[in-house]
Amino acid sequence: MIPLNHFLVLSTILFSIGMYGVLSRRNAVLILMSVELMLQAVSINFVAFAAYLDPEKATGIIFAVFVIVVAAAEVGLALAMILRFYRNRQTANVDEADMMKW
Amino acid sequence: MGMEEVWLLPAIPAAAFVVLLLVGAYLPRRGDWVAIAAIGASFVLFFFVLADLLDAVKSEDFVGGGKSWTWVEFKDFHIDLGFFVDEIAIVMLLVVSFVSLMVQIYSVAYMKGDPRYGWYFTVMCLFVASMLTLVLADNLLLMYAAWEGVGFCSFLLIGFWWEKRSASEAAKKAFITTRIGDVGFLIGIILLWREAGTFNIQEIIHFAEEGGYGNTYLTIAVLLLFGGAVGKSGQFPLHVWLPDAMEGPTPVSALIHAATMVVAGVYMVARMLPVFVAADPIALDVVLILALITVWISALMGLAATDIKRVIAYSTLNSLGLMFVALGSHSVTAAMLYLFVHGFFKAMLFLGSGAVIHATEKQDVDELGGLAKKMPITSITFAIGAAAMIGIIPLSGFWAKDEVLTATDHHQNIIVYLILLASLVVTGMYMARLYILTFLGEPKDHHVYDHAHEAEPIMSVPLILLAIPAAIGGFVVFHEVGDTLGFPGGFGEFVYFDEPEKFKMHWDTAAISTVLAGGGALAGWFAWSNGAAIATRVRETFSPIATLLSNRFYIDELYQFVINNIIIGLGKLIAWFDRTVVNDTGVDGSAGLGYLAGNELKLTETGKIPNYALAIAAGVVVILTLFLVLEA
Repeated sequence: MIPLNHFLVLSTILFSIGMYGVLSRRNAVLILMSVELMLQAVSINFVAFAAYLDPEKATGIIFAVFVIVVAAAEVGLALAMILRFYRNRQTANVDEADMMKW
Repeated sequence: MGMEEVWLLPAIPAAAFVVLLLVGAYLPRRGDWVAIAAIGASFVLFFFVLADLLDAVKSEDFVGGGKSWTWVEFKDFHIDLGFFVDEIAIVMLLVVSFVSLMVQIYSVAYMKGDPRYGWYFTVMCLFVASMLTLVLADNLLLMYAAWEGVGFCSFLLIGFWWEKRSASEAAKKAFITTRIGDVGFLIGIILLWREAGTFNIQEIIHFAEEGGYGNTYLTIAVLLLFGGAVGKSGQFPLHVWLPDAMEGPTPVSALIHAATMVVAGVYMVARMLPVFVAADPIALDVVLILALITVWISALMGLAATDIKRVIAYSTLNSLGLMFVALGSHSVTAAMLYLFVHGFFKAMLFLGSGAVIHATEKQDVDELGGLAKKMPITSITFAIGAAAMIGIIPLSGFWAKDEVLTATDHHQNIIVYLILLASLVVTGMYMARLYILTFLGEPKDHHVYDHAHEAEPIMSVPLILLAIPAAIGGFVVFHEVGDTLGFPGGFGEFVYFDEPEKFKMHWDTAAISTVLAGGGALAGWFAWSNGAAIATRVRETFSPIATLLSNRFYIDELYQFVINNIIIGLGKLIAWFDRTVVNDTGVDGSAGLGYLAGNELKLTETGKIPNYALAIAAGVVVILTLFLVLEA
């Protein structure tokens, strides 16, 4: 059986890639995709912990489902915002989205 | 009806106050009859309480009766709303209810046509309610509340004609001066409560008698209590407000600044005397010394004052001093007897002077004179009052004054006795002077004289009713008189501190005091009759002393100097501290710091999402690192 640590390392790698994407990309769509990666890393953690620590109950798996649902809703909302932003500014570069600062 | 319902006495005037305050303006005659009826009801109820008390006092272990409610309760701490009546309180009740009824009736004529006629009676009701509460309070906290209540009414009534600048200033002066003493009073109450755990007067007395307080602690506490009495009862050095309080309407002076409120201090000390005695003897020595100073300076200032009401105000200070001398000599009997008769004759003197002022619209003795022919009733009652004040046998003042003298003779050293005896000469002189300059001799201002008229019946009847107890009130000292009236005996067997004492005539003291007081009066007579020829010559010979006296020993000037230079200087220092340290540094400084910090830190807000994301990620890393380090 694959040890739990393997899943945790996988999820850490996935989370770090996602965070790298969020911090380094300027395109809003790519940032959104990176956020999705981070979310799925969390989901892997949930599922792994659920399977290894408390197999009787499916708490972690249900959480993972919730994360997917929330992520889907969030993607819908975020894409709509990015679309509005692109229509206004003819760009998806988040560096341009600084009008609300002081 | 009895002692259980004694709370009704203050409750009725208090209810009348509320009624007059709310609907007084719509009542016929602006509601003066409501006030008089309420105070009359209290006066009638007094007799029921008295009858009940006389019944109860026959039993050996009687200490007092009344009724008490719990007002505030918190765990084992509680404040009661309690009314308590004993022998001392009943004497005070009689003075307060009778004199206030007389004064109210008199005021109907005196205040007629005043634009604030209704307001006058409204405040008077509040005053009577507060004063009766003060007398009946069974705990110090309620007494203090009532104490401030009467002070507040006094303030309102001194400044009754506040359009006059001197009146509003006198009101402020009275309020602030008495407040200095009241702060001491409140601290004293708190000190007594802190150790005893109760505000109840009887319990505190019990606690003190059993030695529950430390000696120094108790001495400081009672001296602070006495501070309240010094302010309220105009003892040196806080006596300065009382002469100025004469700016109020004359009936107010009669009721508040002669018969009732100013003797509240005497009453309080008489009530708490067991506690004073339990403290170091130095406490009562302080009472005695301040009282002796008050007796002398007030008598001397009375010689020089020209305002008729001011002279009587000085005589009030003189009398209050005598009462405190009696208390300083451990004699509640003498103090309360003097308080009792003083209430009548002093109120009458004030009402008499009010009749003069009402008739002539002058109150400077230099403009009056010869009024005896025009105002016979006022003149005769005034003469009775003045003679009682001087202490002419057999008027009431004589018996009371001799009780005070006997008390000092028994409990103090001979020097105190002699100082007090000597003051009687001066008392005789200035009262004779006042009477002569006002009522006898040639009128100094014929225009004033021609317009003078006798007081109308509504004013002269209270004068006559007050003259009766002022003349014969002193006979209550005799065992037979008290016995006939249903009391357990003479005054000394009814109101006493340690042991009931049957009245004994001290012929030596009586003879000396009569000679001295009568001699003083005669000297005053010779000096001021015939156009005050002798007095004028004496005044010219000793002009520096005369100037000193008419300037009231420059005590007011001294206080003004202290206020101008020290208090206001101190105030400026505090104002500077407030402005530069508190405001500029503290308030403005912290605001400026916030502004500067915000101005600099806002540059970190770039509006660029990756920057924020990086900050969040860095924050997470920092927190996680900290977490791991601290866990390890």
